Amino acid sequence: MTPMLQQFLSESREFLQRISQRLLSLEHTPEDAALLDDLFRSVHTLKGNSGLFDFPEMTRVLHAAEDLMSAVRERRLSYSRSLADQLLDAMDFISLLADEIESTGESHARHAARSTTLAQQLRQFIPGDGGAGREEPRAAPTQTSAGVSEAVLASIPGELRAAWAAAIGGGQPHCLLVYTPEPECFFKGEDPLYQVIQTPNLVWQHSSAVESWPSLAELDPYRCNLRFTVVTTAAREAIEAHFRYVPDQIALTALTVDQLLPRAPAQAAAPKAPDAGRARVENLMRTQIGIFALRDDVACLPGRLKAAVGALRGCLRSTLREALIPALEAALARSLEQRSAAPLRGWAEALEASPGPAAPDAPDPGISESAPIAGSAGSSLGAETVKTLKVDQEKIDRLMNLIGEMVVAKNGLPFLAGRAENHFGVRELAREIKAQYAVINRIASEMQDAIMQVRMMPVSFIFQRFPRLVRDITRKLGKEVDLVLEGEATEADKNIIEALADPLIHIVRNSLDHGIESPEVRRAAGKPPAGRLVIRATQESDRVYIDIIDDGKGIDPAVVKRKAYEKGLIDEATLERISDKEAIQLIFAAGFSTADVVSDLSGRGVGMDVVRSAVNQVNGTVTLESTPGQGTRLRLSLPLSMAVTNVMVIESDHRIFGVPMDMVLETVRLPRSSIRAIKNRQTTILRDRIMPVRSLNELLASTTPQQSNEEDELATLIVQIQGEPVGILVDDFREVIDIILKPMSGILSSLSGYSGSALLGDGSVLMVLNPKELVTWQ
Amino acid sequence: MAMIYKKTVARFEETIAIEAADGLQSWLGTHPKAKLDFSACTHLHAAVLQVLMTQAFPVSAWPRDERLKAWLTAALKHP
Repeated sequence: MTPMLQQFLSESREFLQRISQRLLSLEHTPEDAALLDDLFRSVHTLKGNSGLFDFPEMTRVLHAAEDLMSAVRERRLSYSRSLADQLLDAMDFISLLADEIESTGESHARHAARSTTLAQQLRQFIPGDGGAGREEPRAAPTQTSAGVSEAVLASIPGELRAAWAAAIGGGQPHCLLVYTPEPECFFKGEDPLYQVIQTPNLVWQHSSAVESWPSLAELDPYRCNLRFTVVTTAAREAIEAHFRYVPDQIALTALTVDQLLPRAPAQAAAPKAPDAGRARVENLMRTQIGIFALRDDVACLPGRLKAAVGALRGCLRSTLREALIPALEAALARSLEQRSAAPLRGWAEALEASPGPAAPDAPDPGISESAPIAGSAGSSLGAETVKTLKVDQEKIDRLMNLIGEMVVAKNGLPFLAGRAENHFGVRELAREIKAQYAVINRIASEMQDAIMQVRMMPVSFIFQRFPRLVRDITRKLGKEVDLVLEGEATEADKNIIEALADPLIHIVRNSLDHGIESPEVRRAAGKPPAGRLVIRATQESDRVYIDIIDDGKGIDPAVVKRKAYEKGLIDEATLERISDKEAIQLIFAAGFSTADVVSDLSGRGVGMDVVRSAVNQVNGTVTLESTPGQGTRLRLSLPLSMAVTNVMVIESDHRIFGVPMDMVLETVRLPRSSIRAIKNRQTTILRDRIMPVRSLNELLASTTPQQSNEEDELATLIVQIQGEPVGILVDDFREVIDIILKPMSGILSSLSGYSGSALLGDGSVLMVLNPKELVTWQ
Repeated sequence: MAMIYKKTVARFEETIAIEAADGLQSWLGTHPKAKLDFSACTHLHAAVLQVLMTQAFPVSAWPRDERLKAWLTAALKHP
């Protein structure tokens, strides 16, 4: 895959995201012109970019979407929900194509049918566009929009067009090339005129101005305002090769017979060559003739007909067809007599059939103000140039690992200082090493901080998909929901943000499906018919909180208890004993589902336990509060960053281990005598509470008894596991250090008793325990 | 080689480079009745061309080079 394609794909995703955001915002403010403009620009740029590659399926749909958006922007069409649905569908298709291109490097031709259907569906919205017809020729993916070439073609003499059409029919391809040199090209030493004169196999040429010519005195001769239009019989490859240094400034269209002879063939054989003004005149005539087709039963008919005939008379005169005027006058007289436009209509039909270039609807040949040339769109329309650098995440990860190693390596210096002092007895040197260490330490922690900043991502990364999700689900369920997103700028580490995406979607689905009631039920309960779903992110010290709050029916503890009992998740005794607050926590238990009917939205009974385990994996916690009838509040609490872990080093069985500090409640030294056995479990009483006690050696399947100190006290680490304190007996406590925790990989990753490993300053490996898994495992 | 300005005629000789553009522009500005003589012209730079395209100056002689002539007639006929 070329870097250009890679960039295209990554930009496409951004554009697609932006487009769907804009579409959703427009549902609330369909009149917002700025949003519409932005939406149009995004679609337009995406289309232009896709034209750089050979992805006709993608370009076709985008082209249709662009035309549609253009119609909306020009107020020829109003924005509606069904239109948004169609556009969203189209964007989903584009995103599917992008996925495929990413994995295979090409867009498969099997999507052609779907692409054509989508394009047609989009075009059906456009007033006056029948759906088909605007399709560009499949064989010639082109960078120019149909509008440009049509306008240009209209300015070409008819007999030339006829000759080309004949040649094309005879197998000689003709290409229309529009070359618009960039304004600054003279400063690059280019001579566009020389360049275009040298185009191989030229058959026709035309030079015009991009913006209308200023007066001679006002012209800046060193700013190129030229546009060249040529027709050549050279092969597309040859032309592309000729203009290979300015590919973004040319637009190439393979001419077809249909394009050259858009109307009756007779017209192409027109005796006189229409000049540029001619087409405009003919357009005018056509409009006048159209007036004859209007209803006759109006009072203003005579005036209307006279005005139209007057205009036609002028047109005929200007195109040197005065001979036709008497017939026109006669027709007018008859029409006025009969109070019907029929005689004039007859005259118009006769005119159409006559050999003269009667009334084709040749578009305005305003080449100079024609539609923007697609290829250059990306650069010229990307108005907001953000100074961002797109970097592969792997590179950032590598940098982070290197910085991590640097932090670890730096920790070796105090050891060295210690050795210098104790082993070699050079105190002076030890002090200098320590001074140096302080400097390196400061820089290293700043580096660490900087790399963490790089990895930070705003939660809007996941939040942005909710408007679409909520819209789709609520429409499916027939509910009304106002989604409120707050704190989208809150940042957290990329890994955490990514790990959060799926659980959050689960939660939102659950809230919509089970939480928020249908409008009728809500009305009956005296609530506003539209539910309210708030997703809020906040940051407090080193944790990020994400709250998902709905004002739905809440969770009924009685229902939860009964279901849990029926599913065998709790026994009868528990059923009687547990409080309401505890009961609602049961929805996190594996295999619990309160939905009576399994829907495709939620309710497969896997939802909430998946949420909890996903959140636990990134050292987060989930809390749930619910008031029946009033709503539910879920709070996810997550660490800001996973990269640096604060661990306490402990010693057991002559080995050292790390325990994450956020697990450690406190450390105590328990006299051996205070540990008692209840059945075969060891327990102790700490501040009047019974607390289970486990020996680390035992947990790690070692038979060595735990060592005590001189006073026969055992070092006990009190950790919190599922809200309950548990004592873990170890041999000794050591210092608390910051480490870069590397998760276990490969086969070792199944060892859930360890959360990972880290390198210490002296080069040894520290295994970091996962007490939660270790204790609940057995 | 270059531009030769006579009383009312601007004569284009051989290849006219971009440097001639502003000289031509100011000369044409002071000689509104100027005529253009391309008979010895083999090529002119696009910047020179756009100076000529701003206004319709009568052409006293077209280039002998057919290709250049075709371009110039197409470009200068309808300024």
